[in-house]
Amino acid sequence: MEEPLLRVQDVGKFFPPRERNAQPFWIIRGLTFTVAEGEFVTMIGPSGAGKSTLLNLIAQVDTPSEGEIAFRGRTISSPRSTVLRPGFDRQIGYVTQEDNLLPWRTTLDNVLFPLELRGGADAQGRARAGELMAAVGLAGFERHYPHELSGGMRKRCALIRTLLYDPPIILMDEPFGALDAQTRAQLQEDLLRLWSMRRKTIIFVTHDIAEAIVLGDRTLILSRPPTRIAGAHSIALPRPRDVHAAARQEGFAALHDAIREQVR
Amino acid sequence: MTARRTVLAGRVLLLLGVLAAWQWGHWALGDLFIPSLLAVLQRLYEVTAGGEIFGHLAITGEAAGLGFVIGTVCGVLLSVMLRLSSRLALAIEPYVMTSMGIPLFALVPLLILWFGINMAPKVVIGAAMVFYIIFIAVFAGLRAVDGRLITMARVMGAAPLQIVRKVYWPGIQPYLFAGLKLALPRALGATIVGEFLVGDRGLGFYIENARQQADTVGVFTGIVIVTVVVLGTDMLLERLQARSLAWRPIDRDMVA
Repeated sequence: MEEPLLRVQDVGKFFPPRERNAQPFWIIRGLTFTVAEGEFVTMIGPSGAGKSTLLNLIAQVDTPSEGEIAFRGRTISSPRSTVLRPGFDRQIGYVTQEDNLLPWRTTLDNVLFPLELRGGADAQGRARAGELMAAVGLAGFERHYPHELSGGMRKRCALIRTLLYDPPIILMDEPFGALDAQTRAQLQEDLLRLWSMRRKTIIFVTHDIAEAIVLGDRTLILSRPPTRIAGAHSIALPRPRDVHAAARQEGFAALHDAIREQVR
Repeated sequence: MTARRTVLAGRVLLLLGVLAAWQWGHWALGDLFIPSLLAVLQRLYEVTAGGEIFGHLAITGEAAGLGFVIGTVCGVLLSVMLRLSSRLALAIEPYVMTSMGIPLFALVPLLILWFGINMAPKVVIGAAMVFYIIFIAVFAGLRAVDGRLITMARVMGAAPLQIVRKVYWPGIQPYLFAGLKLALPRALGATIVGEFLVGDRGLGFYIENARQQADTVGVFTGIVIVTVVVLGTDMLLERLQARSLAWRPIDRDMVA
């Protein structure tokens, strides 16, 4: 069998107890799944299910208490890891819930930030940044500061900032969580369009079942803590998908119901 | 526009009020305690037209400027070092805080003993004064930098030095400027007090010399010159700050 791009094997994470003699709190335990190259995996779970914790483990912002995480067949993270390498040398991109834009940089300089970290943006990098900004409707806002943008625009900026340096896999932690329904649908469209141009591997965490179905090739359902995979569904809806019409497509309602049964 | 005009009018009125109070004090208390406005203005004209004051100004400016720069650089460097190593911070912080309790000016006789009667004691006093202010301001600024921005930069492959330069440094600017604005007049003040005690030149010497001769006009003239210098340097700092913090919404709203 071919080695998947990412393998999460029996991973667990506990937080030390507040009081002595108390049991440690396992937020994740015995969690296993794989992600293939070019796959768009959505993850859905109740709030407090350790979704962000899981992504932090994969991004190597935090170490697991047990189990291991392998990238292209190589173990990158386990309880024995002594040195954290966040982002694993730019192999793993991470779009967090907050946009985390640098407030003193203009939109364009924020997008170019990852290139600047590696010796600066060349003409090609700048051209690609321009393309991406145009693709998500940020053209004309290059010189604006983050506080001058709307919430949706800031999210787009954060999204293309990670796309620009092109990590093979991108983790997304409820990136559209705090947005109104209309903006959210637009961003989903943007993301699908960007993804269809360059099929990146994406793990997209959400608490919105419809979002999980509309975006993903496959959706994984997380249980309550200690969190495991409670279910998995392949999403057979044809692509390209229309985020506004997806709910009316055949199979959507049945899938939605099946997932809702499992998310509790 | 009208708001700006109101502010300007308010300032002018306040200035006139202060000058009126001064002149009234002169009439009430007499020459020995408070000199007349006119006498000070005349002296001001004499010392500037005769060029006498510029030598003093240069000496004080050099010492205060040197102390200011040394104190600032040390304050920034130490706070950044402590931020990067929490163990070092835990070990050193109590010593820094304790040493803050040392009355600086009580050290002047010692400093004279160590360095002699020259520039050095004044610079040391100024630098020490500035160091604590900057250290505390920048240390608070470093703590206030959003940890999520640091994580984001690390995930994108930023090296530790890049994080310092591209995240911490811009992040501490508001705190740094708050510290600089406080430290600048303090540096000048400390240098001048230092000159009371050691110098044979400089603004502090000029004021002290006038005092010893019961020349109240001279004392006041010296003080006026010092305030003008503080005002000028502060305006310079304000300019720098406006440029460096242009991205902040609050500055824009205030300027408009």
